[in-house]
Amino acid sequence: MSPIQTPAPPAVTVLRAEHVTKAFGGLVAVNDISFDVPQHSIVSLIGPNGAGKTTLFNMLTGLYRPTGGRILLGERDITRARPDVITQHGVARTFQNIRLFGAMTAVENVMVGHHARMRAGLFGSIFRPPWVRREERDTREHARELLAYVGLREPVFDRLASHLPYGDQRRVEIARALAAKPRLLLLDEPTAGMNPQESGVLTEFMRVMRDDLKLTILLIEHDMKVVMGVSERVTVLDYGKKIAEGEPAVVRADPAVIEAYLGRQE
Amino acid sequence: MGLVHHLEPVETTTISPAPPPAPPPAVAARPLAAVRRYAGRWGLIAALAALPVYYGISDLTHGYQAGFVAGHAVIHHDLSKLGFNFAEGLSNGAIWALIAIGYTLVYGIIELINFAHGDVFMIGSFTAVGLWATLGLGLTTGALGLIGGLIVTLVITMIVTGSLNVLIERVAYRPLRSAPKLASLITAVGFSFILQNVGLLWRGGSPQSVNDLIRAQQPVFTIAGVPILRGYILAFAVMIPLVFALTWFINTTRAGRAMRATAQDPEAARLMGINVNATISLTFALGGMLAGAAGLIYALYETNVWYFQGFKAGLIAFTAAVMGGIGNVRGAVLGGLIIGVIQSLADSRLGPEWTEAVVFGYLIAIMVLRPRGLLGEQTREAG
Amino acid sequence: MTRWRGRLLAGLLIVTGIVLPFGFGSASGFMNATIIAVAYAVMALGLNIVVGFAGLLDLGYVAFYALGAYSLGWLGSGFFFKAHIHVLVSAVADTLPGVHLNFILILIGAAIICAAAGALIGLPTLRLRGDYIAIVTLAFGEIIGVVAVNGQSVHVGGGMTLTAGNLGISAVDAPYFPGIGSFGLLDLRPWYWLIFAILLVVLFVNLRLRDSRLGRAWVALREDEVAAVSMGIPLVKTKLLAYSIGAAFGGMSGAFFGTYYTEVNAGQFQFGFSIFILAMVIIGGLGSIWGAVVGGLALGYINNYLIPDVLNGLPARLGLNFQLTEVEFGIFGFLLVIMMVLRPQGLIPERRRRLELTPPDAP
Repeated sequence: MSPIQTPAPPAVTVLRAEHVTKAFGGLVAVNDISFDVPQHSIVSLIGPNGAGKTTLFNMLTGLYRPTGGRILLGERDITRARPDVITQHGVARTFQNIRLFGAMTAVENVMVGHHARMRAGLFGSIFRPPWVRREERDTREHARELLAYVGLREPVFDRLASHLPYGDQRRVEIARALAAKPRLLLLDEPTAGMNPQESGVLTEFMRVMRDDLKLTILLIEHDMKVVMGVSERVTVLDYGKKIAEGEPAVVRADPAVIEAYLGRQE
Repeated sequence: MGLVHHLEPVETTTISPAPPPAPPPAVAARPLAAVRRYAGRWGLIAALAALPVYYGISDLTHGYQAGFVAGHAVIHHDLSKLGFNFAEGLSNGAIWALIAIGYTLVYGIIELINFAHGDVFMIGSFTAVGLWATLGLGLTTGALGLIGGLIVTLVITMIVTGSLNVLIERVAYRPLRSAPKLASLITAVGFSFILQNVGLLWRGGSPQSVNDLIRAQQPVFTIAGVPILRGYILAFAVMIPLVFALTWFINTTRAGRAMRATAQDPEAARLMGINVNATISLTFALGGMLAGAAGLIYALYETNVWYFQGFKAGLIAFTAAVMGGIGNVRGAVLGGLIIGVIQSLADSRLGPEWTEAVVFGYLIAIMVLRPRGLLGEQTREAG
Repeated sequence: MTRWRGRLLAGLLIVTGIVLPFGFGSASGFMNATIIAVAYAVMALGLNIVVGFAGLLDLGYVAFYALGAYSLGWLGSGFFFKAHIHVLVSAVADTLPGVHLNFILILIGAAIICAAAGALIGLPTLRLRGDYIAIVTLAFGEIIGVVAVNGQSVHVGGGMTLTAGNLGISAVDAPYFPGIGSFGLLDLRPWYWLIFAILLVVLFVNLRLRDSRLGRAWVALREDEVAAVSMGIPLVKTKLLAYSIGAAFGGMSGAFFGTYYTEVNAGQFQFGFSIFILAMVIIGGLGSIWGAVVGGLALGYINNYLIPDVLNGLPARLGLNFQLTEVEFGIFGFLLVIMMVLRPQGLIPERRRRLELTPPDAP
């Protein structure tokens, strides 16, 4: 270790939610939640069913408009932004129930993920000048690389997404999200339906992804082993409110968190 | 790029998860949603009232031409003409209401537009007219015989059209229940064409006039200068009891309860032991019967029938169903009456060649700005 | 199939298409039916983009047939008699009042007008679910029909009206190309080669779009709108492009029909036509480019040749009291029902893609 130590750079916040609220008529699904996600960290969002986690995700990606509060991506206010614009600015997500495009192959699905980073428009698509041809070729190659990266075997690259086994579909969804070259990756229950061995592998992969691709990851999870194993910080929601936040070990021992989980018959 | 794959391919033998699917988030629509929020029910009412109010004021201030006397136009400044529009409109509307109920019941229970429903109405008219000949009902038939004969006609026609609608459900909708909606829509359109061709072969391509059995244009009495014709009374005399009977049936009987339950949640209904297939067939049957009744009224009232009348009537009645709130029977009746008035106003003030455009203009506006209509619940939007 | 096999087949088809007229009489009923069938195929390709690629159920496609035909009526006849605009037209047409543009320019004009109309019609439907889109587009189609009929009372200045209603705009220009001359009605071959050329162009554009960023975006939106926008696909722009391009092709075909039928008459534009084109797409194979072509050709031939010319007397010979043309509608409806129940994916299913209409558990 060098005797001269440079001070650590100040933590950059990739995402900040300020007093975000979402009400559906009389039902308040998300109630005055504030939190932030430091750059390059892995943050988990946990809480009992119905706590408002997916609703929060949907607001972060622009599918729902918050009833109150602000959401900032870096310096940019994305509270009212359209979903596709938010993706352009570097946010990508996977879904709780896999939402692949069934009529397209795995490769094509991942190529769609790259849509916002491509420039070919109507006339480019029709006339295919050299730069468009190059863009298509590069996108296709990149898609295949990403599929390999997430562990898909070559033979299934060109299979219809709806014909793939469940585990492979989850990987394709991650590859698709990565194709958008995000700064922030939102994973909605990525290990749902997986056995412990698979969950372990995915947990490890999240760290690798984060390191390789300089990502920041925010995930919703129910599997406590995954949460404890991978998160640098855990935020706990219950009934739409944030009830605890901090390092995994601390949160796990928090009485309010325990009560939220055990006090409710799941 | 140099990515090395880190995730070892693992043969997965996972169980599919069964978390309850979150409600699909509607992709937020910015400016249109704002318009919609402000439009609301009162906006719709205002838009609907615009025509009658405008012409009412115009009649009172500028007056309208009520005829010629000795070469000069006679200008009246009262609301009689508007009243006439209303009387005629409401009576036409009663016919549309009966057809609209069929659309709304079917949509409420299987979330599909029965494209062939208008043509079932047309077959109803044709059947009724055919039965008149068979029963020997003519212009010289006595009052008692006429009423008896018409009641028999009504019953038989309703049975025929009810069965026809059930047949359509069995052939066009049931086999495709698991297929995407597009498939059922296309089969219904196919059926619509088949029925139209049947009508075409039955009575030819032009409107055919039929006997004016009840002297539909004869005034019975007058309210504030507006003559109330026999046809009007007929329309309501048939519509009101039928609507009451239907509402009673849906609200009181077990089968009616089954209909309501299936409309809300078919899976839950099935788990409760309700025979969903039979309930759906029953819904189609009821809708078809009402369309048949409408067909008989139409033939008596308009005194002509045409193989193409179902297409036009179908779109008007569907507009009525949407306007009232799709899935809502009271809404269908209300919508039918309102559309009838709008149609009558457009016919008489703008000219019948523009009426369709007016009605469809309203249809588009409602579906885009307030899809739930006047009385409907919040409908699920794109997704 | 391999790339070279595909190219060879394509080349073969093109050559066949070009030499086809030499095998038949230059003014025969068969040539007439072929010309119409090819024009229908162009329309089907247009609608295939809207309904097949993008999954937007458009039941009012007749609107673009009408607008395309009226584009021809406005830009290629003496209808707007106060104007005196002539661009690359025959010597005869050069002297006539009205707007007379070269047919290629009219094609472009029709495409532009219909693209704009398509976007306008599509705009209100962006938030709607499937069957509601169907009804709204149907309603628009009907409104355009009403405007077409009543256009003779809509004055656009100088004593000219918007349309000629049911009387129709007749005396429209025939296509003229410098060096070839004006197309006549005795020799159908130039007409055929013209519409065949248009088909090739439209086919080319379709094939390019299908395997492009835009084509993938359309399919993504069709499959799962929420996931698609989350992946960065702009909803409004992408859907409107589908409507516009689909409409543009319909308009081009409509313009051709206008000049081929030598008149543009409001009675030509009925709702049934929308269903007719939709049937071509569906029977051919929803979302499949070759399916649309096959569907267009097949139904075109059935409608304009098989039923009226070949089989019309069949019922009479069977002892039945009607002609086949009278039950055309019903046959057509019957075909739709059969197709949906038995083979919803169509004759040529969309290439390697699961169709919207196959049940989820099909292999």
